[in-house]
Amino acid sequence: MSVAAIGADAHGHVDQLYVETRELRLQGFLLFLVSDCVLFSSFIFAYLYLRNSGQGWPPPGIQRLDVAFAAWNSVVLFGSGATMHYALENFKHGNFIRYMWFLLATIVLGAGFLGGQAFEYNHLIFGEHVTWGGSGIFGASFFTLTGMHGLHVFFGVCYLTVLVLQSAAGVYTKGKFFGITAGTLYWHFVDVIWVVLFSIFYLI
Amino acid sequence: MAVAAVHSGGIAGHIHPEPQGFVRRYVFSLDHKIIGIQYIITAFVFFMLSGLLAEAIRTQLLNPNGGFVAPGTYNEVYSVHGSAMVWLVIIPLLTGGFGNLVFPLQIGARDVAFPWLNMLSFWIFPVAGLMLFSSFLMGAPTAGWMEYPPISLQGAAGTSMWCAAIFLVGVSSTITGINFVVTILKMRAPGMTFTRMPLFVWGQFATAPLLMIATTALAAALAALFIERQFGVPFFDPTKGGSPVMWQHMFWFYSHPAVYIMILPAFGIISEVLPTFARKPVFGYKLIAFSSMAIALLGFMVWAHHMFTSGLAPFLQLPFMILTYIIGVPTGIKIFSWTATLFGGKIHYSTAMLFAIGFIGLFTIGGITGIFLAAIPFDLHVHGTYFIVAHLHYVLVGGSLMGVFAGMYYWFPKMSGRLLNETLGKIHFWLFFIGFNCTFLPMHWLGMLGMPREVATYDPQFTFWNRFESVASYLMTFAILIFFVNVLWSIRNGRRSGPNPWGARTLEWQIPSPPHYYNFKHIPTVYGLPYDFSQPLPYKGLEEELTDSPPPVAAGAH
Repeated sequence: MSVAAIGADAHGHVDQLYVETRELRLQGFLLFLVSDCVLFSSFIFAYLYLRNSGQGWPPPGIQRLDVAFAAWNSVVLFGSGATMHYALENFKHGNFIRYMWFLLATIVLGAGFLGGQAFEYNHLIFGEHVTWGGSGIFGASFFTLTGMHGLHVFFGVCYLTVLVLQSAAGVYTKGKFFGITAGTLYWHFVDVIWVVLFSIFYLI
Repeated sequence: MAVAAVHSGGIAGHIHPEPQGFVRRYVFSLDHKIIGIQYIITAFVFFMLSGLLAEAIRTQLLNPNGGFVAPGTYNEVYSVHGSAMVWLVIIPLLTGGFGNLVFPLQIGARDVAFPWLNMLSFWIFPVAGLMLFSSFLMGAPTAGWMEYPPISLQGAAGTSMWCAAIFLVGVSSTITGINFVVTILKMRAPGMTFTRMPLFVWGQFATAPLLMIATTALAAALAALFIERQFGVPFFDPTKGGSPVMWQHMFWFYSHPAVYIMILPAFGIISEVLPTFARKPVFGYKLIAFSSMAIALLGFMVWAHHMFTSGLAPFLQLPFMILTYIIGVPTGIKIFSWTATLFGGKIHYSTAMLFAIGFIGLFTIGGITGIFLAAIPFDLHVHGTYFIVAHLHYVLVGGSLMGVFAGMYYWFPKMSGRLLNETLGKIHFWLFFIGFNCTFLPMHWLGMLGMPREVATYDPQFTFWNRFESVASYLMTFAILIFFVNVLWSIRNGRRSGPNPWGARTLEWQIPSPPHYYNFKHIPTVYGLPYDFSQPLPYKGLEEELTDSPPPVAAGAH
């Protein structure tokens, strides 16, 4: 099926108010993501600053992080980015059922990533005794940044669940689906942040 | 039919029904004008409170040994005074207050892009303000408005409250910033190109991205400090591997742009007031507009000039010094443009104009001492002395606050439909101007002689000038009382202003005072700059604004 014009209803009439309001919301939402990005950037700056001011990294007495596990967990998160992309594309083309399946897959993968993160935290805290407050700047920067990101994923999963319910209730139509667009943008944003966090915590 | 017509017009044709009832209209209002006035009133209440704290400081300094308050209390007083003046007074007045009130009218919009967010953004602000002042109940912060660790880590419980309060007020600022950027980008009237926007709009347009980006950086710093204080997670404590200097980087990465948040909108106000009362096109319109953007951009690259004594790596010191000199260039361009606007003009010395001219002089002093301070050798000499106090008060009081007063006298008719009393206004101006200079000018030489700031006592050799300053500061406070009396009196008894008492040419003056909730009956079309006093007004479609023709059709409930 073809893609409908933004703001168009089933008869092809374009709702100009919706079109313009959507423009505003889209821009506002992108700016929100920019300012959220600054929040992460500030903490990333703090992490790199502390990392380079001390006596080597990881600090004495702390193991290097397990790259392999985190890499698999990243694959799960990036996979959810792909399913989210296909969810939006299918919605635009009117394939509602496939949209719902891709959306549910995104939620499952997102929750899977959170589960993986919980497993990793559990291992660090109880296995290696690396904690938020008790392991110096390593624990402080690692748990704050990945925790902040995990919270973002958690909010994303909650939002996508709301999207499922709204979609089932028929809130979104072929021309009016800004809620789905915003969810997709947010989800990709969270993915990109993870690319950076994975690189600076696990790879370098 | 009416609904169809409204919908085909998009946002410009979309008019909410008139709010009914006191609460909807004046308390939880969605109208940008009412929200602007709410901001202004709330900020002036906080202004009185932190003004009292300022007088407590000056009263303490009447004697070398203090004696008015205990030294610990003195630390709390100046810390809350600074924080409140920056975050609860100047920033809300200039952005949420005058920004909300004026710029949507000036671009020919019916409201800001997100009225609900605007209301949310306002209501966070008084809550955050009360939180900040409530920190006195649990031991207020004692490390100044910058809250440098390690002192802020050792401060009483109120320091955590301070973090939370400033964080919240930052959330409010960020929302406002996003709202303003989108509004200016997307909701200008037809024909209102960027190079036809009034300069106040340019000021807000340069400020809003700073609100949006820099404030979030501060939020990170505050969150880290809060986490460290409450949960013992080390970021800034050097004994656990943290770095106090990192706080300074994170704080000033916000707070230097914040200096421009506090001055760029005031630049905008001055750029409106000067051409109106000089009856001349503003000189160098594009230079003033683009220099605001240059300042906003460069403002992110100079933060470490606050840290020349903090052990900054030498290879970083020189670039920050040079960049700080460079940021003086666009500021200088503005000063020259304003002076050239006055040159040869037919100047009408209204109170607003007096404040605007006073602004140019005092801000220039504050700006020049800023150039002094950018020089590392000089900065090393006066860092942490009263020279800094003098410099920042010349910028924030002589600059921002004078701008606020100019804006108040200029736009009060638009808010209330009545003029502020000019006689009281001129008494206000002269007492304030004299009181301000006598309070802060001597601080320059006290600082050069080495009197440290943020200390409850001082060497007896400085007694004379400190007493002189304290007495002058009482004069300044008295002037501000006159201003409040003027406002309260004029709301009821002021002369009716009509739509355009100043003969000004920007859009907000072409509609009734106060404007209707929908602002414009028809969205006007713009054909040129608003500052050509020899030309007819560059707008079309305003013919019905001042007539009794019926209001535009509301779009019904949404």
